[in-house]
Amino acid sequence: MSLTILQPGVQATLQGAPRIGSRHLGVPASGPADPLSMALANRLVGKASDATAIEITFGGAAIRFDAPVSFAVTGAQSALTLAGRAVEPHVTHSAGEGDELQIAPARQGCRVYIAIAGDIDANIFLGSTSTYLPATLGGYEGRALRPGETVQLASVRVIPPMETPEDLHPVCSNSYALRAVEGPDFPASARHMWDETFTATQRASRMGVELEGAFPYIPEDASHPSAAIFPGALQLPPGGRGFLLLADAQTTGGYPHLLQVIRADRHLLGQVRPGDRIRFLHRTQQQAADALRAKQALLSAWLPDFHL
Amino acid sequence: MSDPAITFCGDDALRLSAPDRDERLARASQLQATGDWLEVVPGRRDVTVQFDPFRHGPDEALAHLARTLATPAPPPSRTLETVELPVHFGGKNGPDLADISTRTGLPESEVISRLLSEALQVDMLGFTPGFAYMSGLDAALEIPRLLQPRQQVPAGSIGLITGQCGLYALAGPAGWPIIGRTPVSLFDAAADNPFRLRPGMQVRLVDADQS
Repeated sequence: MSLTILQPGVQATLQGAPRIGSRHLGVPASGPADPLSMALANRLVGKASDATAIEITFGGAAIRFDAPVSFAVTGAQSALTLAGRAVEPHVTHSAGEGDELQIAPARQGCRVYIAIAGDIDANIFLGSTSTYLPATLGGYEGRALRPGETVQLASVRVIPPMETPEDLHPVCSNSYALRAVEGPDFPASARHMWDETFTATQRASRMGVELEGAFPYIPEDASHPSAAIFPGALQLPPGGRGFLLLADAQTTGGYPHLLQVIRADRHLLGQVRPGDRIRFLHRTQQQAADALRAKQALLSAWLPDFHL
Repeated sequence: MSDPAITFCGDDALRLSAPDRDERLARASQLQATGDWLEVVPGRRDVTVQFDPFRHGPDEALAHLARTLATPAPPPSRTLETVELPVHFGGKNGPDLADISTRTGLPESEVISRLLSEALQVDMLGFTPGFAYMSGLDAALEIPRLLQPRQQVPAGSIGLITGQCGLYALAGPAGWPIIGRTPVSLFDAAADNPFRLRPGMQVRLVDADQS
């Protein structure tokens, strides 16, 4: 059993669990840029939250199933058709043999997730199937899927439909308020950042999203010795545009680390697209921890194996 | 718990200042061995740990780190491994050798011999998988970063920058002036141990064209 990628959109990769505990080797986390959306898709096909699924940037993709199988689509808002009929995201659907799933270009949000009621065959590196493009690790030969390529599936099933509870449908938007704490290099001259609105530029990938706006002035010779950096960090490279790090972010860096988007809100970063507006809401470490527990509590009943 | 050497690095990570290299690596090993941290990442002057906020609140994580650090780090259990790496200097393997020679005022042969004269120490891996930051470079070899990074250098390329030496385990873009290249594979995704180098190892460069 297999599925064929007729159109991969801007970029289609296989993603599974993040790699944890390997940053000291220079190996980033990878995994879905929006782990909550991927978990919700996997839930609808009876899979673990971090089971291997397909991540498609900006939608605009088409897939053909060569045997009956159930699937679900979540993430960025895109019109969907299955064998020519409109279908909804956040609901389990069952494709017949030869059926095509068409995913229109995303209206809002950045990444669409497709989960399959079956096991997607993928390379494993350090225990994870997640694709890391810069080093061609994991996934489908470590790279993005190309038109006409076939992804092998095992143990496929057709299952009774499920639907994501209404209150757990993530809201995609063109503007985000992200809760953040001060980073280790937050200068006193940056206090105004909490009142500014920033805009995502065209420089966006699974490594990070560039932001333009009123960043503080930091002298270019204020170089920092390389230190650990994590997804959710807002760095300020020379040139005055911020860079907000995502799942594939490098493990160490020397640019000033101004803010850190809190763990509870990092899943949102995977849906930021060029032109979206971002504000940062100032939180303390304790407030960040409280916010994490509060959001986790909302998710646990439907996604018992998922952790933000 | 107000150890001045520990600071928050965001909402779920803590940073221990450790400028001394041996202390830093010993602390990293000690923290790694506890299994209490999601990530333990040595930097150039510090060690950063990421904690699991579902397990520790921020104050608990801070207190827990301080408690662990109250115990001296055990000395390294094994003697430092030394790795010899053959290197092809200059030419297409080291396109910036001539420029490094000009900038330092040393003949190319002297640049190379100074690089071969001392063992280098792997301080940390980072940036991309297996990229090794090494110290122990002759002070005369301090040169700045390239103004325009190269889009692509081959795996095994060796760069110099501001007193450090960097080994590119993977082909990719590079902002460091490249002096040579080792044909030894530094990263093999299919191997049981994909990484040839680890923090704490010593590296001795050997001129592959002189042997």
